[in-house]
Amino acid sequence: MNRPLILLSSITYAMKARDLLWNMGFRAYIERVARNRDTGCGYAVYVPDNTDMAEQILDQEGFKILGRAPRGGYDI
Amino acid sequence: MIYLDNGATSYPKPRQVEQAVAQAFKYNGANPGRSGSEMAVRTGDAIYNCRKNAANFFRADGPECVVFQPSCTYALNTVIKGVLKPGDNVVVSDLEHNAVMRPLYKLRSQGVTITVARTFMGNNDLTLNSFRKAMAKRTKLVVCTHASNVFGIRLPVERIAALAHMYGAKICVDAAQSAGVLPIDIQDSSIDYLCVPGHKGLYGPMGTGLLILREGDVIDTLIEGGTGSRSRIHTQPEDPPERYESGTLNVPGIMGLNAGLNFVRGMGIQKIYSHEMSLISWLNSRLSNMPGISLYTGRHSAGFFVPVLALNIDGMPSERAGEFLARRDISVRCGLHCAPAAHEAMGTREGVIRVSPSVFSTRRDMEFLAESLNQLRTMR
Repeated sequence: MNRPLILLSSITYAMKARDLLWNMGFRAYIERVARNRDTGCGYAVYVPDNTDMAEQILDQEGFKILGRAPRGGYDI
Repeated sequence: MIYLDNGATSYPKPRQVEQAVAQAFKYNGANPGRSGSEMAVRTGDAIYNCRKNAANFFRADGPECVVFQPSCTYALNTVIKGVLKPGDNVVVSDLEHNAVMRPLYKLRSQGVTITVARTFMGNNDLTLNSFRKAMAKRTKLVVCTHASNVFGIRLPVERIAALAHMYGAKICVDAAQSAGVLPIDIQDSSIDYLCVPGHKGLYGPMGTGLLILREGDVIDTLIEGGTGSRSRIHTQPEDPPERYESGTLNVPGIMGLNAGLNFVRGMGIQKIYSHEMSLISWLNSRLSNMPGISLYTGRHSAGFFVPVLALNIDGMPSERAGEFLARRDISVRCGLHCAPAAHEAMGTREGVIRVSPSVFSTRRDMEFLAESLNQLRTMR
């Protein structure tokens, strides 16, 4: 299943992640994640291509990644 | 009007600040960090841009180190009440504002001890030594003004920060009178918590302030509530800045503050400092030749002062002098300036007249003020 959303702890970190990924040549966009079974609503960075690599980069850069999700899903 | 009360809040504000506030009302009406609508994300971006700008301005590690607060006082309360616990000791200078002292007096009743370090105007070595003597094993935090809001005396906060760290304590700096006037590099100076008003030397709207964090260490929260993310979790998020920002942000204020930061950067801090110091130096020199006027800080040598001057007409309460000046449409600040500790230290318990110019103040303003004070002293 395609899971192009990288869930982050806040909108600030999502925007910081977006900026970092754009600077590294990724297409990355902010998306609101409506609901999450465990943590509730939050923000994600949507990376349509090479999401795995983007996640790996964010992880290496010290971002706290809360998980991955498909687009438009509820109760992920 | 001749406005020389910029130590309280700067006036006028630059046109771009007014425009940014108006733009916020028109185009950024959705709540940032609360939904995924186009306007909410756009507003979130505007907020984020201000975080990046402020982080860059004070050389913080990243936008996550910039916490929006309603005022410098609020930021100081966040740090003081977030860090100190019963049994801890805190060291402060003898020039602190009530924004520092009142929260500390409250904590004193809960078992926090306060040690006051004497400052020595124009002698940073003696001031530092005084702080050294004040440090104790239980000292958890040093809270120190960067520059006195009454006398303009600048403290060597970089050296005090190094000293605090030697003793395993953190330092919180009150930059109410220095932000936008003195360059502040939170990395080089090793300041742990920098508390900044948005509406004074940064020329933003009232109701704005910043807490700049050097490291991402987690302190206790002053308030808890909605942060727009992880809402199922009952506890406050751990990560700054949202941890300290519950509730809806002051979007028009923050966008105005962002424009204020750009204005200051465009003008150049050194240029602003030189301009304002030249005005204060001229006034200081002019008044020092007038019998019947008391000055308290000698010559304002660059590096040891910010552009704030305290004075009195001998034998006249400062408030009465202030009323006379107000009738001439000159706005200064009289009385105790919410800093009774500083007045105690400087021997001005009855208060002073404070003159604080901005980048918009002119030599003509100073000449008119000097002339008015000259008339006033002869009327005693």
